[in-house]
Amino acid sequence: MNQLTFAIRQEAARILEENVVDVVIGFEVGTLPLKAQPAFITRKEEAEKLVYNGFCQNNLAAYLTRRPKEERIGIICRGCESRAVRALVIEHQHDRDKLYLIGVPCTGIIDWRKIEREVGENTLQAVEEGDEVIVTTRDGEHRFQRVDVLHDSCKRCLHPNPVGADIVLGDPLPEGDPERAWAPVLEFEALPPEERYAYFVQEAERCIRCYACREACPMCYCTECFVDHTTPRWAESMITPSGTQAWHIIRAFHQTGRCVSCGACERACPMDIKMTYLVDKLSYDMVQQYGFEVGASDEEQPPFAAFTLDDRNRFVR
Amino acid sequence: MYKVLPKTDLPKLIGRWMEQATVYAPVRQGDFTKFEPLSDPAQADLYYAANTRYPPKSLFLPQSEVMFRVKDGEFESTEDEVSSRVILGIHSCDTRALQLLDGVFLTGDYQDPYWAKKREQTTLVVLGCADPCETCFCTSVGSGPFDKRGADVMLIDIGDEYVADVRNEKGQALFGHLPDASRKQIDKSRQVQAAAAAGMKKPFETEGIKDKLYSLFDSDFWPKIQQSCLGCGACTFLCPTCYCFDIVDEAQRNERVRNWDTCMFRIYSQEASGHNPRPTNTERVRQRIMHKYAYFVELYDEIGCTGCGRCVRYCPVDLDIRQIIRSAQAWEES
Repeated sequence: MNQLTFAIRQEAARILEENVVDVVIGFEVGTLPLKAQPAFITRKEEAEKLVYNGFCQNNLAAYLTRRPKEERIGIICRGCESRAVRALVIEHQHDRDKLYLIGVPCTGIIDWRKIEREVGENTLQAVEEGDEVIVTTRDGEHRFQRVDVLHDSCKRCLHPNPVGADIVLGDPLPEGDPERAWAPVLEFEALPPEERYAYFVQEAERCIRCYACREACPMCYCTECFVDHTTPRWAESMITPSGTQAWHIIRAFHQTGRCVSCGACERACPMDIKMTYLVDKLSYDMVQQYGFEVGASDEEQPPFAAFTLDDRNRFVR
Repeated sequence: MYKVLPKTDLPKLIGRWMEQATVYAPVRQGDFTKFEPLSDPAQADLYYAANTRYPPKSLFLPQSEVMFRVKDGEFESTEDEVSSRVILGIHSCDTRALQLLDGVFLTGDYQDPYWAKKREQTTLVVLGCADPCETCFCTSVGSGPFDKRGADVMLIDIGDEYVADVRNEKGQALFGHLPDASRKQIDKSRQVQAAAAAGMKKPFETEGIKDKLYSLFDSDFWPKIQQSCLGCGACTFLCPTCYCFDIVDEAQRNERVRNWDTCMFRIYSQEASGHNPRPTNTERVRQRIMHKYAYFVELYDEIGCTGCGRCVRYCPVDLDIRQIIRSAQAWEES
């Protein structure tokens, strides 16, 4: 057991025992070696189930808007989760007083697809050992450098440390390099329009409209998503290029100034569709044009949700 | 009748079929395979051991299917748009799923002409699984990696050749001209089949599962296990036996279409009044599991799951149906 897992179990048991919270949301061992399962712990004895490692691939903040409003929740928060919590509190989706954030500086999530691309689909066991990931399959042991198999969003992570946590377990990590973080956005932007469009079409066309991306996202919490609205209908119901493209574009726009760049959408997609490149561009614009970054402050509203008299672009006349 | 086909002769044989029919086979797309109509026999990727990501049920119940068009105020049928097809390399689980869905679409008071037509026009050349995946559990749900039910031909990989177990006339039309398999080759194919099934784990017992689930209908079991479920449609859309659809008039296209739908979505059961008989994720998760392991058993005397493992592999939160069934069997009301 790693030290963080031990510390998380202790803290979870403590806050349950001292009645600080009703539930602790974390991770437990999954049925697949390369994935952990979200866990909901309500008794201190069950805190022993909690684990923490690079296979914890979900953004747990996505559960906050699904839980009963009156519940007091303890939640394991890595950098991206803590920023999502801030964004949700600013958007009045959760009462900060009812949350207890167990902060964990994050060294990045391991992308099971990258591993299976190399070793095939029959993983029997997977463990992290320092900077390595050791995967056992039917044909033996395979070793990977952790950095090579991190999820792309984690490779470009700017803020691995939790913000506004009630307690931080583990040592703080160096912040990410903005140049490295935004490089993919600039590279994509530099492509000719027809190449960018071709990439978008190629990715969107695999979409089966299961909305795993939406459901895995902490910031997609609308009671009724625009695609589910039928009077009037905003997007074609059919699996047509126009219908799926509309979904991907509008989903991205709705994330402007709200996306925490966790990559949970891409990790959730059963069709391996790349989609963070769309919202990353919007996040980049938010930084460049408004100096706004999600989670940087615990009170500033996203630019597109706010209106002030000194608004720079006063198009309302 | 057992025929034998050297693997090197397969492209030639596919080419021959392509003269008469549209041939579908798993085709590699990036990191996964999907059944596609072949334009060249070399596109077929039969050595990719795992199941195709996208289920071949889509060749019979497309995710979006035009039921009819209205052109200049006149009804226009789309029924004749399906011609003769061969599906090569479909696995037993997916074939079994088609058989189970025949129960839904072809028996009882309602016959679905769209499904019926495609079934009639299709020959299934099944490829048995010599090397089932870790997430496969066909043997737990009354099937197996070489289940021949529903197959027109079953191919068994014995190394350099396929032994073709030709099951009926449809299969005969495709394989009849080939030489018979030798005693030795047939014996080898039997060994391959036995070894594949024997190597599979059995994650749960299905005995009594229907009654157990009925007894848990109002149990705390469902609120507990649904907690991690995000309520997306990945499991049901990738499932070879999920068949729910929604009929929509796409007025701008002048088409009536039916699209896959899923009980995991809130709007699936949302009524026009705003009332929803399955108001929370708890009822929706219960529906998905009970439909397969209780209601389907009640209606058709078969488990409505073929153990393909797609929902296990692609669930974004690793909510594993094997674990759900195991937990249900072990659940005791407190």
